[in-house]
Amino acid sequence: MTSLATIDLAGFRLGTPQRVDNLTVVPVFGPGYPGVLSPRDGVKLVRVDGYGTVVLRNPGSDGRVGLAIVPLHVGYVQDGAQNHALCRSAFLAPGQEVRFEDACCVQETTGGYLTERDQWFFTLPLELRAAALELRRQGSYSKLWPAIERFNRGHGLRARGHLELMLAGRRAFLTQYRSRLELVAGQLGALFVLGGRLVGVEVAPNPAYFADVWPALVCFAYGPAAMHSRGDAAVAATPYEASTVEELVAAREAQLRAELARVRAVVDAAARDWADPDVTEEERYLDLRLSTVVGSGVAGQIVSDGARPVYASLFVREMN
Amino acid sequence: MNTELIAQLTTAGAPLAVTRAGRVTGPDATDHAAAFERDPADYALLALLPGVTEAQRARMLMQLLGPSRVGWPETTRRTVDRVVRLLVLGLPAPVVGTVLLALRHRRANHKHVTRAALRLLFEHAEAAGFVGTHRRVAVSIVEHALGKATARGVARALRTADPSIVDARRALLRFLADEGAASDRLLALYARPASALIPAADAAARLDLDLDGGRPAVVTATNRGDLAATLVHRLPGGASPDLDAAQRRYLAAAVAAVPRYPGRLALVVDRSASMRGYGEREWAVRSQAAALELVLGERCAEMSTVDTPGAGTDLAGGVIAALNDRPDLVAVLTDGYENACEGDLARVVATLPRLGIDVPVVVCVATFGHSDDLALRRPAPAVPQRAFWHEADLGPLVLWLLLNTRAAAAGAWLRAGLTERLALVEGGR
Repeated sequence: MTSLATIDLAGFRLGTPQRVDNLTVVPVFGPGYPGVLSPRDGVKLVRVDGYGTVVLRNPGSDGRVGLAIVPLHVGYVQDGAQNHALCRSAFLAPGQEVRFEDACCVQETTGGYLTERDQWFFTLPLELRAAALELRRQGSYSKLWPAIERFNRGHGLRARGHLELMLAGRRAFLTQYRSRLELVAGQLGALFVLGGRLVGVEVAPNPAYFADVWPALVCFAYGPAAMHSRGDAAVAATPYEASTVEELVAAREAQLRAELARVRAVVDAAARDWADPDVTEEERYLDLRLSTVVGSGVAGQIVSDGARPVYASLFVREMN
Repeated sequence: MNTELIAQLTTAGAPLAVTRAGRVTGPDATDHAAAFERDPADYALLALLPGVTEAQRARMLMQLLGPSRVGWPETTRRTVDRVVRLLVLGLPAPVVGTVLLALRHRRANHKHVTRAALRLLFEHAEAAGFVGTHRRVAVSIVEHALGKATARGVARALRTADPSIVDARRALLRFLADEGAASDRLLALYARPASALIPAADAAARLDLDLDGGRPAVVTATNRGDLAATLVHRLPGGASPDLDAAQRRYLAAAVAAVPRYPGRLALVVDRSASMRGYGEREWAVRSQAAALELVLGERCAEMSTVDTPGAGTDLAGGVIAALNDRPDLVAVLTDGYENACEGDLARVVATLPRLGIDVPVVVCVATFGHSDDLALRRPAPAVPQRAFWHEADLGPLVLWLLLNTRAAAAGAWLRAGLTERLALVEGGR
């Protein structure tokens, strides 16, 4: 597999693409990286200490102890509290508690702090991710509101710094992406292709980790853009050019080959567009390095062990 | 098969009504009359198709009661009688009253009309309330059934306990099971003043024509039928002698409520990740799909099962594979989410006629409950699709499969299936 934005994906393999609306998801398979807990086990929201400050802890689970990697742009939603999202990824050593003082509030009007009780997590929508990444290490809790206003306006929602207009208002539609596009056994990553363009690459340390972040990614990170780009009109089904079952099977196989070739071309184009980005190391944990990647066409964060990618969340900087 | 009529039967429309002048409005009678002329028994059985609207059932009742039955074979007369009885007891009392009023205007004075009228006034679960709220209609119906003089004479005889006026037993009571209640009802009907008649509360619910009762208002993973509830525990790996025994017991009960499919059915089963669901609904959809698969395995003369190929949801690939078995019908069992190239099922089904294949394909969509949004779950809009979520849906679903089968014997299969359904509905009362 091609090298993308400095990460070498040679040890990984692509699965059969799945496609709904204009969104194609290509499963990524490969060797798991040992010792990294899934977010469900290793990343717990402790509390929000004040607007813009989120505290996370790695408690382990069921006797499992290991490193946790905070998924990039994870956000938390809780009834009656002001929802927050993080601008960056981070390492959480076993038992470690970390204060993220550069988190952003994504709900302009509701008061109240998030606590450890019932909440669900999301990933910031694709359209907000580059802006959020640029705002890492900056203190203002309201720093993402202008971008959220633009995002909402672009989706025909009220222009307010209130991400819940999308997360809650379109939730019934967005959450169906989790069923419309399916997690495949053993999958530890995915390429997201919107229309004819690679818009995201997500690679997790292991399948359990990816299974945890999959709903948040497909529903909330890539779902809004997919929803926005879908056509309204139902298209009449065009029969295949076939006069026997064998020809029909061959036509479908040819269609699958064409789709794989299309994906390959899209990835190759992205490899060029995403080439030679700036890579800035942010954190270290033993042999692991957490780095921020920013290029002309790509942004994101990666965790690597030498040349081996362990975690990656890369996305286009601009949607248009 | 009465394809056009069947389509009408489940389409919402204006209710059957009759004007003071006797003009009947509501569902068009043309296709009803034609189907009745072809075969009254087959026509009558269609009233038991689940989902037939109240207005259409009223039109059917009127069609079944209006003509004379002279010259009918005994089997036809018997089937029609049984269906009429169910319609009279299963439709709301005012609706049956409207039908009988219309028949009075048409001077349909057959014995079967008399029996229907008496059944409405004396056996219908809502009869007491109907007599209270629709007294004039009720009087009109009973006087049409018995004759005005006889009806009034019976009332007077009962009120005065004077048998010399009319022999009430011979004229009325001998037709009825509960003579005491019938006497009270008739006396109430002719009570003076009419304003003194207080509508009585009806104790029982009317007959359930669709066998649709007992569904939960709040749906959970385990209140959608006993078989599915057992499978919710078995599918994640739970196994125990108790669960095995429960599954056998509940399967037998579920099978008893499902008509037989005498043909060759190919079932394409979507076992992809989305069928499993998540959260509080995890395994719910998959369990009801598995319940259907088990029931069909017991009720189909021949059934082949084909899993959708690949890791995602390739419904079209499953259909192509299923055609190898030369089935009478291909049924795709899925949650409706297709992602191995969305729209491919529609394309493949649209291609089949070009290949000389006329096997019908239908989609059975397993849902969690009655309120699932199916807007994104129609993988092939031109292909017949039916959703199901409760064990009580399985019988109607198999009838629908029979309706969509085009085998030479499909008409006879449907008739047999509806006759089984007739017995089941009769079992309810």
